[in-house]
Amino acid sequence: MAWYVAKRLVVSVLVLLGISAVVFFLLHLVSDSPGRVVLGQRASPEAVADFNHEHGFDRPVVVQYFSYLGQLLQGDLGRSYKLNQDVGTLLQQNAGRSAMLSLAGLVLALLVAVPLGILQAVKRNSVVDRAATGLAYVLYATPAFLLGLVLIAVFSQQLDLFPAEASQSHSPWVVFTDPRSMALPVITIAVTSIAIFSQYQRSSALDQLGQDYIRVARAKGLPERLVLTRHLLRNACLPLITLVGTMIPLLLAGNLIVESLFNYSGLGLLFLNSLHREDYPVLLAYTLIGGVLTVVGNFIADIAVAMADRRIELAS
Amino acid sequence: MIPQPAVATDRVLSVRDLAVEIRRGERLVRPVSGVSLDLHRGETLGIVGETGSGKSMTGLAIMGMLPSGGRVTQGSIDFGGTELVGLDPATYRGIRGNDIAMVFQDSLTALNPTRRIGDQVAEPARLHLGLSRRAARRRAEEVLALVGIPRPGERMDDHPHQLSGGMRQRVMIAMALVCEPKVVIADEPTTALDVTIQAEILDLLDDLRSRLGMAMILVTHDMGVIARHADRVGVMYAGRLAETGPTADLFERTRHRYTQALLASIPSLTHDRGEELYSIGGAPPDLSAAQPGCRFAPRCAAATDECRTEQPPVVAEGAHAYSCWHPASGPVRHTAVRIAERPRPAAVTETGPRLSVVDLHREYPAGHGSWFGPRRTVKAVSGVSFEVAAGETFGLVGESGCGKSSLGRMLVALDRPTAGEVVFEGRSVTTMRPRELGPHRARLQMMFQDSSAALDPRMRIGAVLREPLAIQGIGTRAERTATARDLLADVGLPATVLERFPHELSGGQRQRVALARALALDPTVLVADEPVSALDVSIRSQVLNLMRRIQRERGLSSVVISHDLAVVRYLADRVGVMYLGKLVETGTAEEVYAAPAHPYTAGLLAAVPEASPTGQAPRAERVRGELPSPLDPPSGCRFRTRCPLATEVCAEVEPALEDVTATHQVACHFPLQNKSGGA
Repeated sequence: MAWYVAKRLVVSVLVLLGISAVVFFLLHLVSDSPGRVVLGQRASPEAVADFNHEHGFDRPVVVQYFSYLGQLLQGDLGRSYKLNQDVGTLLQQNAGRSAMLSLAGLVLALLVAVPLGILQAVKRNSVVDRAATGLAYVLYATPAFLLGLVLIAVFSQQLDLFPAEASQSHSPWVVFTDPRSMALPVITIAVTSIAIFSQYQRSSALDQLGQDYIRVARAKGLPERLVLTRHLLRNACLPLITLVGTMIPLLLAGNLIVESLFNYSGLGLLFLNSLHREDYPVLLAYTLIGGVLTVVGNFIADIAVAMADRRIELAS
Repeated sequence: MIPQPAVATDRVLSVRDLAVEIRRGERLVRPVSGVSLDLHRGETLGIVGETGSGKSMTGLAIMGMLPSGGRVTQGSIDFGGTELVGLDPATYRGIRGNDIAMVFQDSLTALNPTRRIGDQVAEPARLHLGLSRRAARRRAEEVLALVGIPRPGERMDDHPHQLSGGMRQRVMIAMALVCEPKVVIADEPTTALDVTIQAEILDLLDDLRSRLGMAMILVTHDMGVIARHADRVGVMYAGRLAETGPTADLFERTRHRYTQALLASIPSLTHDRGEELYSIGGAPPDLSAAQPGCRFAPRCAAATDECRTEQPPVVAEGAHAYSCWHPASGPVRHTAVRIAERPRPAAVTETGPRLSVVDLHREYPAGHGSWFGPRRTVKAVSGVSFEVAAGETFGLVGESGCGKSSLGRMLVALDRPTAGEVVFEGRSVTTMRPRELGPHRARLQMMFQDSSAALDPRMRIGAVLREPLAIQGIGTRAERTATARDLLADVGLPATVLERFPHELSGGQRQRVALARALALDPTVLVADEPVSALDVSIRSQVLNLMRRIQRERGLSSVVISHDLAVVRYLADRVGVMYLGKLVETGTAEEVYAAPAHPYTAGLLAAVPEASPTGQAPRAERVRGELPSPLDPPSGCRFRTRCPLATEVCAEVEPALEDVTATHQVACHFPLQNKSGGA
């Protein structure tokens, strides 16, 4: 196990290096003159050249990449000239809020999707099952921004149950203690995941219901409720763990839309604004975070599956 | 051992005129119609039948666990004064797993893969006996010891995948016995297990039944298991009980025509190989269609108009009862058909063997024990050599994990050996490049066990049969279709099958197609891996006879791989017995079966239950214990860990194959027959 972890870590670092290189060179292709971006279209070519020289942007791109890498190793993510702030500081300010939003959405999604999927499997082909499946397809096909707008229109403007704008506090604790303001963003994030998770859980539970150990559990005289909770639940959730692992970076991307829709300042909103401002150091850092989350999410999922299912040996 | 007649004092279970129907979409199937049976304290009632006979459904109906869409439509199930049909679910749950328990067929998923076995065994005790977690665990440990799990305390926290198949089945039995039920229904309890393990599990069930005074219903397709372990037998066919009676009586004074035909279709270890197996034509009826008269009538040689129109009444002769208009009197003694003498296989020295295997090894990587630990390997095949002459059939027998299937794949160049070579018609196919191999491959064909997986589900049978011809560029499309039609005729299928998809055929028909496909390129060597293991007895004998005929007519050399000793004996001229990657004994079929020289062969033969209640005296000590890991096989003789004769020399010196007679070799320091050569 320890060796497995060590090996995975080495591989992860290599993957992240690859991601950083690809993103760095792509951004360089889009904009090879940060001076022009920072100083604006009206600045003189000399001023731009001076700026680029001063910050080392006139060096060969490979050299620039390695110097960026060197800074990364020292924890320096670069500097946003547009906001005149350290990228690392910017991320720190926003990461907690984004993580909380995503996590709340994920937890809500699992709490709804796992029982729903099992219910659908138990009552397969019933009206409930067909309705849930139909709804899941509709919700899955609905873009998040549209869903968010509908939710705002109904729950905020018509029913006035929840505010249309998320809490603006930068302290996660304040946000945490003000659940009403978080309701709509979290629900918007959760709904799409529920649609995916519940269908996944349904097919996995159906698979498990056909297994012999379920019949054996019934033959013991267990009431159906215990058959489901003691025997089916854990086995039926195994595939979902892997799915959730791979979904983590997608949740981050989901934030992009939800955060801008509900004006919730997090990483997504920061990214969106940086995109408009052509603030490349921030974009680069954001993409790297996506890479880290992908790698970490898969890693955690693999470990979690191995812990839940002893048949799986984490071999090299 | 002949089972002692049951002390039929009190009746614990009584089923009267039970009928079950299952609705599957638009189709209404009636798997059980009008079954009546009694079960007495301390006895084993065997229910025997083929797939779809309703034997398992009868068991599930008693448990109140019919599949969804299923219900009991008539009759009663009386359990010690309680009527189970229509019982409210909560009361039924109190009986299920408590007073009536069930042991299912071992499968990898029969135990919950993510829960510890101790908890799984303790679960019914907590549920029904109201024991505390602690007390239930203690009870579970007791029962695990009772079913022969060594050091049960240490095994309690294991997960199912850490146990072997035999151990898992013991855990399953422990789960059923933990509440000391009055009735145990064992549904094919040993079907997935090897013959040596099967013998142990069945003996265990017998022993527990008599010690705990339970009554047992043993549901099985295997007449041999019935003969050895049941006090009374019920033979089911197409949802009806054809015949019931005390075991010895039923085997010796068989009355129903189906029972008689079924018994005659089973290849036995003492069958005269010159005699064709009796076989029942046709296939069991479709249970969704109403059918008047005797359900066996369409396949019965003795059927008359009366049989086809009127359901035969139950005739009782003492304890023996049957439903047949034209009862037989006893088993079939001889089948009329003798197999034409096949030309004797050309002596190896004259033409050279058609296929020879030289010191073949195959190891599979199994990952590392630790990062820097040595790479571990599964030693699947470790130095096997044999030769197959033109027109000869070589049988490979052994239990699961002995390497026989790995060997089979290498014989037809589907897999490459780690060392050694396969020489086919004088040329080594092992060292050939893929391009060179092509034309040779055509003449080396293989037939697999699971015909539903071995045939592409999206290809019509015509396309399946034309494909090998097309790949080898033989003939035009029309010619290929003509060849396909001839092939089907050869394996006894009508030309209409060409347009069918595999799922539209029965298992027996699919296996015939698989044989036809293997024959399409007119091979000289056919390797058949468990060719009839997935088939029911009555269908099996049809396919076995077909294979014998094809072998004879085409002068094929074949290698038949099977765990079933009787099947190998029926098909093969010479036999090789494998154990843990090694050939431990080879010889002509007559020699090996009549006078086994290796203790393992003798033990295997002793473990096979014969479909006759007499003559069951074990000829040799049975093989006990579990197969060692092929990751780390025992030193010296690999069988020594389970051998009753093993001494120190067996651990130190690996025995080589030595002559017992000119045609019979054994690798053993203490063979049961005198070696002719050597000391």
